[in-house]
Parts: sequence; structure tokens; C-alpha cells
Amino acid sequence: MGRTTRRSAGAQSTPSGASTPPSSLSSSPPSRPLFPTISLRSSSPSSSPQPTGTEPLVSARSSLINVLSRPRHQFPITAASHSQATAASYDDASFNSNNDGDSLYSDQSTISSYASSIMSGTSSGTEMSKEDIALMYKDYLEKPFVQTKSTIRHSEFGHCNNPNWRWTSQWNSNEPIHLEEEPRPSYVVLMSTYFSYLLLIVMGHIRDFFGKRFRPAAYSHLMPQNGYAALNSDFDSFYTRRLKQRLDDCFARPVTGVAGRTIMLYDRTSNDQNKTFTRTGSTTRALNVSSYNYLGFASSSGGCADAAEMSIRKYGVSSAGNRHDASTLDLHQQTERLVAKFVGAEASMVVSMGYATNSTTIPALVDRGCLVISDEFNHASIRAGVRFSGASMRWYKHNDMKVLEELLREAISQGQPRTHRPWKKILIIVEGLYSMEGTLVNLPALIELKKRYKFYLYVDEAHSIGAMGPNGRGVCDYFGIDPREIDILMGTFTKSFGAAGGYIAGSKEVIDRLRIRSHASCYAEVISPPVLTQIIASMGSIMGVAPPLATPAEDKSNALSISSRHPVYGPVAASVLPPWLALPTNLLNGTEGRERLRRIAFNARYLSSGLRKLGFIVYGNRDSPIIPLLIYQPGKMAWFSRMMMERFSADKTPIVVVVVAYPATPLITSRVRFCLSASHTKNDIDMVLRACDEIGDVLDLKYKKQTMTVEEVIANAEELVAASHIE
Amino acid sequence: MTSYQPVLQTSASSPIPQFAEIPAPLIPLLTFLSSVWLTCQNLFHHIPGSPILVRYIRSSYQNDPWRSALEVLLVAFALRTILMGRTRGEGEGKNFVKLTEKEIDELVDDFTPQPLVDAPSPADTFTLQTVPVIYGQNGTKVKTSPNGKPLMNMAIPNWSGFVESDRMKEVAINTLRQYGVGTCGPSGFYGTIDVHTKLEEDLANFLNTEAAIIYAQTFALVSSCIPAFAKRGDIIVADRGVNFAIHKGLQISRSQIKWYAHGDMKDLERVLQNVERDRKRKGGKLTKKFIVAEGIFENDGMMLDLPKVLELKKKYKYRLILDECMSFGMIGQHGRGLSEYYGVPASEVDILLGSMATGLATGGGFCAGSKVVCSHQRINSSASVFSASLPAMLATTASAAIDALIHQPSLMSSLQANIHVFRQQLSKLEPVYTQTPPTSSDGTVPAASALMPPPPIQNKDAIISIPSHPTSGLIHIFLLDPPPTLEEEERLLQDVVDEAMNTSSILITRARRLRGQEIFEPEPSLKICISGAFTKKEVEKAGQGLRHALIKVCGSEFNFRLWHEIKLTQSFVRRETMKLGRHILERGV
Repeated sequence: MGRTTRRSAGAQSTPSGASTPPSSLSSSPPSRPLFPTISLRSSSPSSSPQPTGTEPLVSARSSLINVLSRPRHQFPITAASHSQATAASYDDASFNSNNDGDSLYSDQSTISSYASSIMSGTSSGTEMSKEDIALMYKDYLEKPFVQTKSTIRHSEFGHCNNPNWRWTSQWNSNEPIHLEEEPRPSYVVLMSTYFSYLLLIVMGHIRDFFGKRFRPAAYSHLMPQNGYAALNSDFDSFYTRRLKQRLDDCFARPVTGVAGRTIMLYDRTSNDQNKTFTRTGSTTRALNVSSYNYLGFASSSGGCADAAEMSIRKYGVSSAGNRHDASTLDLHQQTERLVAKFVGAEASMVVSMGYATNSTTIPALVDRGCLVISDEFNHASIRAGVRFSGASMRWYKHNDMKVLEELLREAISQGQPRTHRPWKKILIIVEGLYSMEGTLVNLPALIELKKRYKFYLYVDEAHSIGAMGPNGRGVCDYFGIDPREIDILMGTFTKSFGAAGGYIAGSKEVIDRLRIRSHASCYAEVISPPVLTQIIASMGSIMGVAPPLATPAEDKSNALSISSRHPVYGPVAASVLPPWLALPTNLLNGTEGRERLRRIAFNARYLSSGLRKLGFIVYGNRDSPIIPLLIYQPGKMAWFSRMMMERFSADKTPIVVVVVAYPATPLITSRVRFCLSASHTKNDIDMVLRACDEIGDVLDLKYKKQTMTVEEVIANAEELVAASHIE
Repeated sequence: MTSYQPVLQTSASSPIPQFAEIPAPLIPLLTFLSSVWLTCQNLFHHIPGSPILVRYIRSSYQNDPWRSALEVLLVAFALRTILMGRTRGEGEGKNFVKLTEKEIDELVDDFTPQPLVDAPSPADTFTLQTVPVIYGQNGTKVKTSPNGKPLMNMAIPNWSGFVESDRMKEVAINTLRQYGVGTCGPSGFYGTIDVHTKLEEDLANFLNTEAAIIYAQTFALVSSCIPAFAKRGDIIVADRGVNFAIHKGLQISRSQIKWYAHGDMKDLERVLQNVERDRKRKGGKLTKKFIVAEGIFENDGMMLDLPKVLELKKKYKYRLILDECMSFGMIGQHGRGLSEYYGVPASEVDILLGSMATGLATGGGFCAGSKVVCSHQRINSSASVFSASLPAMLATTASAAIDALIHQPSLMSSLQANIHVFRQQLSKLEPVYTQTPPTSSDGTVPAASALMPPPPIQNKDAIISIPSHPTSGLIHIFLLDPPPTLEEEERLLQDVVDEAMNTSSILITRARRLRGQEIFEPEPSLKICISGAFTKKEVEKAGQGLRHALIKVCGSEFNFRLWHEIKLTQSFVRRETMKLGRHILERGV
């Protein structure tokens, strides 16, 4: 099938896809166009729904970069030709772009519009039965729709060639970092949520009351027994026993294999209301939007895995012991140098567990007489660290810089409690990206405050490192702030790098001090060599290794984003990497890494914007790959998770999601948390959107006004991503 | 209404009725108010059931004025709580000094915090400089420089030689090709892989306990597991010699902590009796009580008298938290730890902590115990809930290591043989009594702790004491006659380390400590780890080498003052050379 036929087919415009935007646009106020960058898409005949009279709005810089720097050449295909188109897209991989004739990309939009036609059900002349659709989607998770050179399995890292589905994660100063007012549902929802909890608590107590009298054996661990006090407090475990257990089938689902784009689950059943589970023996492959696999480096194949294998042969599995005994390998030092380069700091130190990175380092920095000011949503490891240290701790309302400033003024002017002696030092600990909220720290404001109030700043980038910023270097990169302005940069390797452990980076003086005083250096085991190699390989491939072996042609089109790079974020010198490490070319020259960064940026922004358009309450920044969708009522939580598994729509592809509730979140704001990854393709996100849409309707989760239908959202993905304002 | 009170009172003296006193402009307002009041009343009466409510409130307040007062107070308190800021801590306490904005500004300007870290002390620099770096594979033979000569590594816990094992590598590569490296999620959210469950089952079967739970790091396991059970108001009786991770766990448990003398069962009983007496005297409700100890103590290699502790624990109704991070994989016929050594079931230990990182040479730690104990931690232990799970390959290799321990008893027997050979070499430097150590299962070594007064020396040439248990692969060597300060002692021990490395090619290390952060500062010592992977001959040679190094550096002819002077001269010469160098640089001579 030739390109021109497709083009012409696209120009006829699919009823379900491209022709719908005008209807949605007309509903938005004319003074503020919905898609400011839409005028830039003049090359595309199918997507020019902007009324010509409207003045083209100049979009933000990052939007411009994104829109200008990518070749534009794909259009939704008509639904009429869908069945052949999909079949053809397997072999017709070299689909030419419209003007310059580089045969670089195959077009993937085919399946998207194909699927959209299925969903809308009205567009195509050939109606498909549910069985046909289910058959179509049978191999959806494992079989790629496009041909690529990628050596990684499609089920681990989705193959996606379309260069339009890319974005650069960068701060646009027109967009708010953090909304002043969290979106709230109606009072009816809040009241019913409280009522649900009340009901659960009352029911729980009734069950406890009778249970303790009629089945004392089941409660033995909660009651004193022959002179031993109860091991678990009845009161403390009430929530777990009576509330959480009801949805335990949604937690700790046993899995196998790689937690990549898809995940293999063991099916299990429970006959005693989730007290125990029995595995049925069968497995289910599901789309995974739950793991912290931001850049898709969790993989059992590909360059990083090969490097890890090489390292097992060379270094073994473990180095035993702690850093100060004879367990420090040259590999540890190489990793530390690389990490320091990566985050733009002078030196760094690695620890074998992310949680322990915080909990063993903070005590080495502060002690009695110091004040730690912490965001209220900071991670448990930070709390543990401060408690270990013995320093005083104060909280401030999440991301509220005004409250923080007041608190700082009070703390400095009042000094230590009772003695009023000035604090030895004040350390503010924040997270770059909050794992339950999807919000970003307001770093520019914090840096301003730092100049005035002379505190030290500790940024926990557990989730943001790798996942945020045009170069993947975390929040500093995202906001364009020099990382050396931050005293301590902490992060983990578990998330973006598909490894394990964490790092602390800062000035050489600080790190040297930490090497001596950190609990982990003396008493905790070192990171094992294959894990270190995974870190080196994945980080190296994000940075690119200098001198680059070859400059691919594609690089030229990205000239803008390269020139916008902060000078501290250059490629890494080959001498920093271990000499024996052999990485494939696409990892060495940084193209693969950049591709991944741009894919996750697109995916995150797309899903976040799409869910908002569908009328869901979504927290957080649109650039955040963590997307919490608010559910509120606890009863719906379990159902959301179960319905995502047992999809009742035609495609039947299971999706695994994480539902979180109290105590990880405030009591009423139970939520679903999506963690997107570079490994997801646009089709995967489409599928998540459709699933949310259908379940949202069934469970009545659209607490806001829905401004677009799901098919409109899917058809307008690129515009939604480019728009600097949603709602 | 109160402000009207005086007006009304003055008007009461005049004969004119009160309403005449109301100023004209207020009349429409009052009419409006009264009509609003009436409307509200009407509306209220239309609500079904409202008369009952009114009657109830009336009667209850008339009969019980105290209750009314209490309720008003409650409402006021609720309002205050709602209106108070969330982040105000001690806020407007009685210590709060009200300051003007200008004063605060001045104070902010004056605020000069201490630097984030202090300048490193010479001792710190020394510590950092003496950390060895291994080039290439770690194991029994290592290189500390890219082209250095191979050294015999006696500084890492490699009890059964799993560190270099090819079998482990093979298992790890297979796992890598199936599971990748990281798990990308905490165990609660799709981070529970089948290999984790299998390892937990393997551990539980190996130790014969009901269940086990794995953690991603040993230090985090110990410091997080203890506070998951011991809470405020509970009682913990702990050995004075426990390791740093336990100290940290005890610290954040906020329980009441009683210490007993290291390894002294009589003292333990005394403390238990005291607690019991206190409780009887004070009464109060039954609280959880724990005994916390280590199997092989990380700080000196001593062994716990487990049967005695179990007996006491049962007698006084305590639960035992036993840290077997060192002894698991090292002690017992198959490396099951103390329970196997003493022949008691491991399930008698309520909470048993162990390490896969030390015992099985992979990574992470585990807690074994009853089902209730383990499932409690899955939701309540912070390091388990809030951290990513263990990489799959570390779990599978741990399973393979357990398999090897079960099927190859030779692993443990060769370790024991090596320990015996090594200890024999060193016994010539020890006070005589350790030459005939009690190897039967009747208890620990006779009191030879560094924390206790040394027993009379019978061996004239004795320069060291080794409190470590004769079957312990972890051996700590303490100097009998140490220099006066800790720092000097550390430097002296480092000289022994260097000497052993240079003349006999063995790599040992000083026990590294967090000076200034420990609750009880442990004495400096040399730390030696014996591996079963060495041949007897190698171990014998290493023992000899270490003995010679010890004699050379701090033997009978060792004179502390002389050593000190030499050190001083060395540092003087170094300083002068540096000065000279700078001088030359500056002057360009």
C-alpha cells in the first residue's frame, strides 16, 4: 500500500477521529483557544480545525521547540481501510515522510485509528463483532505493530517509531508548577466518602465484637495469652484487618518476569475473604502502568542486560561486606564518578537500598540542635532518617511556599524550643516529584527562599531523576537550575534505571564527610556488581558517551534541543566508563536515551491531559509520569482495580493499576496511581484512556465536567500535549 | 448584647417603658431582625421532628448545666482545632516570644548557620585513605591495585566461598535473562516476584519456621523490624554489645530499654527480675517485652548462650529478637545458625533476623518467624513497605546458596577446619586460657569480653585477646595493652594491617566504626573473616603471617613511646617535605 493512498484516505478524514475536534473546540471559550500551537500544524490537512479568524497564539518556548523540531508526516488513516492497513503495517515498515523523503519511520497511527473506529462503532462500513476485536487484540501486548531495529521484546519495551509522539520535558514558565487550589469534587462525594469509612468502621467493630466472642482462635494474636502481651495492637491493626483486607486482592499481586511495559501475573483466588490466596496455576499478561520503570530500562534483553551479564562473568554476583572493609570495587568508584557527572555534582556516594539512602544519610548531616523542615508528603524514609538523627522536625503544608516562609521566619526568630538558642543549621528536605501526588517541588521559589534564609537544601529525586527534564537529570534540569545550587541531591536507581539502590551527590567535601559518617558506609552491604553495571549502562546511554561514535542523521533535527542543554549536562567521557564495558552504538551515542526521554515526556503529558479532558480529577503536574486519578470512595477503589483487570470492553486486554488509600494518602483522597514509562506506546495510553473512560462512566468517577469524548482525546493527542493549558 | 447592658440599666431607673428608649433609626433594623427570627423559627418548626429536638435540648440543659458547659467547651475546642494551621508545631506555646516583623528580619539577617559538614578531622582523612579498593572480582584472592600482586582476602564475609562461585554466576545470568535486573516496585505494588516468594519459602523450610519475609538490605531490615514490633511503652532488654543497626532500631522504637552486661546471663536474669519487680510494684497493664541479642556478635564475634536465653525468656515471658546476620550461613552443620549449633528449634526464637548478604553472599536480609510475625511486617515495617523489592537475581542466587548449604555439608566443615587452624596459629599470642576452648555446646567462651576486666595473664608473651567464639568465622583481635587514645590504637592496628599486607600478602581490616555516633564506643580491633574456600595451608600461612605482623608491630619489644616518636617524626618529615615542595613551587627554584 502506497503512501499517497494513505494520505488521501487521511484527507477524507475519519468520522471518528480527525473530524471531531471542531465540536469540542466550539465548546471552549473563544477568547482562549484550546490548542495554542495548533496553527503550527499547517502541514497537516486533517488537523486544522482552528477557526481561521482566531489569532494564532504564540505558544511557550518548550512547545515551540517540540513542535518545530520534529518532522511532521503522519495522519490518521481512514477506518474504511483498517483491516488491510493493520495487516500491511507489519511489512510496510518504511513509510516515507511527506517532503524530504527520508525513509526513517513507519507509521503507527494506523492501529490507533483502527482501534478508535472499533470503539466508536459507528464509523466503519464493516462492523466488527466482539469476537473479531478480541481476536485482533489477542497478541496486542506481545506482537509489535511496527518493525524496528530494537532488540528488546515488545512486551518489555513497546516498539514505537512515530516521531510525533515525542515531547521534551521542560518547564514552561506559563504553566503553573503547582495548582494553588486542588480540584475538589462536590460535597456529596466527600460526604459519601466519609460515610463509607464510617460504615466500614462500624461494620468492622461489629465483626470484631462477635468474632472475639465466637471465634477467639482467630483473634489470639490480638489478645494477651498466658502472660504474653498481644504482639499486634488490636487498635493499630484494625485498619489492616477490617478495611485493607477487603481489597487485598488488589495489592501484592504475585508476578513473574520483567516488570516492563507488560507484566505477567499469577492468577489467584481467595475463599476466605482475602485472608489467604491460592494460585490457580494460570498466568495473565497485562499492560503495566504501575511499575516505576520510567525509562523502560527494566529489561531482560538489550544492551543494558548484556552489560549486566558481562559484569556477572567478570565480577560475580556479590562483593559481600561493607564499603569500608575490602568490598569497595573499582566498579563502585566508577559508578560514583558517573553518577556525579550525571546529576551535575562534584562527587557522589552509592548505597545499596533506596530507602536506606535517606535513612542512613540524614543522620550523618544533622543531629540534636539542628532543625529539619520537611514537606508534609515526604517519603517514609526521610522521616525515618530524621528520627534516627535526633534532630527536630517541623512540617509544612505540601508545596506551600508561603507557609514555608512563615515557618522559616518563626524557626529562625524563635530559635530552639525553651533555650531560644539559634538552630545550628536548618535543613529543608523536599522531594523532586512526589510519588503519590505527581506534583513537582517549586524549586525556583525554594532557591529564592534559600538565598534569604540561609538554609541547606536536600532534594530527594527518587522519582524525578531520569524521568524529568530535557536531559533526564531530574528537577534541576527540568527547571533549568544549576544543580550546584542544591546542597544535597539524593536519588534512587530503582526507578528510572531499572536497577536498585540509591545515591547521594553533592560537593566533594560533603560526600567525603558522608562516607565517614553515613551508617551505610560502615555497616551496610555494598551494591552488587551486576546492579552497578545496569546503572552505568543505563545512565551512560542517557548521557551519551564522548567522543560519540557516529552522529546519526536524526540528530540534526533535534538541533534545538541539543543547544538548549545546560552546559553541565554534557556527554560523559569514555574514560569514566569501565574499559571492558561494550555498549551497542545506539546506547553509546545517546540516541536511545534521548528517544526514551522524549517518549516518556509525551506519554506522561498525554495521559494526564487526556484524563483531565475526560472529566476526571487528576492531581499533579502534567509533565509528571506519575498520574494520580482521584477516586474518593473506598468501595470504588477495589472495583476500579478489578475492572481494569477484567476489562469488559471488546479488546479484553487486562491493565494492572495501583490503588492507594489511607495511610499513604489523606483519608478521603483514595486514588489510582498510574506510573507511565517510555516503554509504553501511544496505543497503550489510548487503551488506558478508553479503559478509564468506560470504568469512569460505570463507577461515576468523572467528578468534573467532561469536555471531550475519549475518541476526541485520542485523535487530538498531539494537540493536547502541545497545549500549554488544559481547562 | 452585652454592650447594650449599661444602657438598659440606666434606662431602668426612669418610669418610661424601655421600648420608648430605642432610637428611631434602629427600629426598622430591629423589625427586620425579628421578622427574620420569626421566619427562621417557622421554617425550623416545619422540619419533621424538630419539636422533639427542641424539647430534648431544653430539658437536658435545664437539668444539667455542667453538661451544657462541657458541650460549649467541646464546640469551642473543635472550632479552635479546625481554625489552627496544620503546620504550626509548638507555635504559640508559653515559650513563644512575640516579635515584630522588623525584629524577625534582623534575626534572619543575623542567622549564621554552621557549615553543612564540619571540616574532616585527621582521623577521618586517615579512615578514608585506608579503605582498600578491589580491582576486578572480589573473593578469596584479590588485587588492590590494577596491576598489584594477588592478596588473600580475609576481610569480607565469604564463609562458604559463594562470592566467587561459578554456580551462582550461572544462576544469576539465567535470572537476568528472565527477570532483568531491578524490580521497579515495592513488594505491595507488583514487586512481589515468584522468586521472592520461593526464597521466602526456602528460608522458612531451611530454618523450619512457619514463614519468612525478605528485605532489600540487612541494615534496613534490622533497624526497621524492631520498631515494627516494639512500640512506646514496651520493654526491651538488650545486650550491651549489640551492633549499630540494632541500636538504631531500639532508638526509634521509643520503648523503654534496659541493658545487660555483654554476654552475661546472670546479669540478664538480674535485669529481668528487676523489670518484673518494677511491674509488680507499679501494676499497670501488660506490655510487650523483648530480649534483643545477636547470635554471633558483630562487634566482637562472641556467641550468645541461646539455650540459657530461651530458658530465661520463657520463664519471664519475653519474646526474643535474635539477630543472626553474622551467624546465619556460618554456624551449625548446615549453616542454619545458632539454633542448629545448640540443637534447639529455630521456631522458638520469636523474631529471627538473618542476612543473605553476609551468609549467602548475595544481598538483602530476612526475618523468619511465625506467620503472624511475618505478615505483620509486610504492612507495618517501614523498610519493607516503602522500598523496592530485592533484585530477582539476588533472590535466586540466595535460593541456590541455601540449596548448596543443604546438600554440601563440606562447605561448613571446611570452614570450621580453617577457623581451627587459624585460631591455633594465633593462640600463641593469647593469654593461655583460650588454648583449650570449650568447643562443646555448653555455652560461650569464659568471660573474655573487651568490655570486662581482663583475666590474669598466664602467657607472658600474650599481646592480644580474642573474645570471638572458637567456631566463629568472624574473628576480632583486641590488643591487650593498647595505646592511651582510640585514635592511636586505630593507627597502630592499621600498621598491623599494612604489615600483614606487605610481608605476607593477606588482606585484613580494622573493624570500622562510626566514632561519635555509637551508643557504647566499641574498642578498636582487627577484623578477620575466615572462608571455607581457602585451603588449610593458605590459612595456616596467613595465621603465621598475621602473628608475625602482630609481633613485629606491637610485640614484646614494642615500645609505645618509641612508636609514637617514630610516627611524630614521620609526620614531621612529611610536613616539612610538603613545605619544602611548596617553597620550591613558589620560588620557582
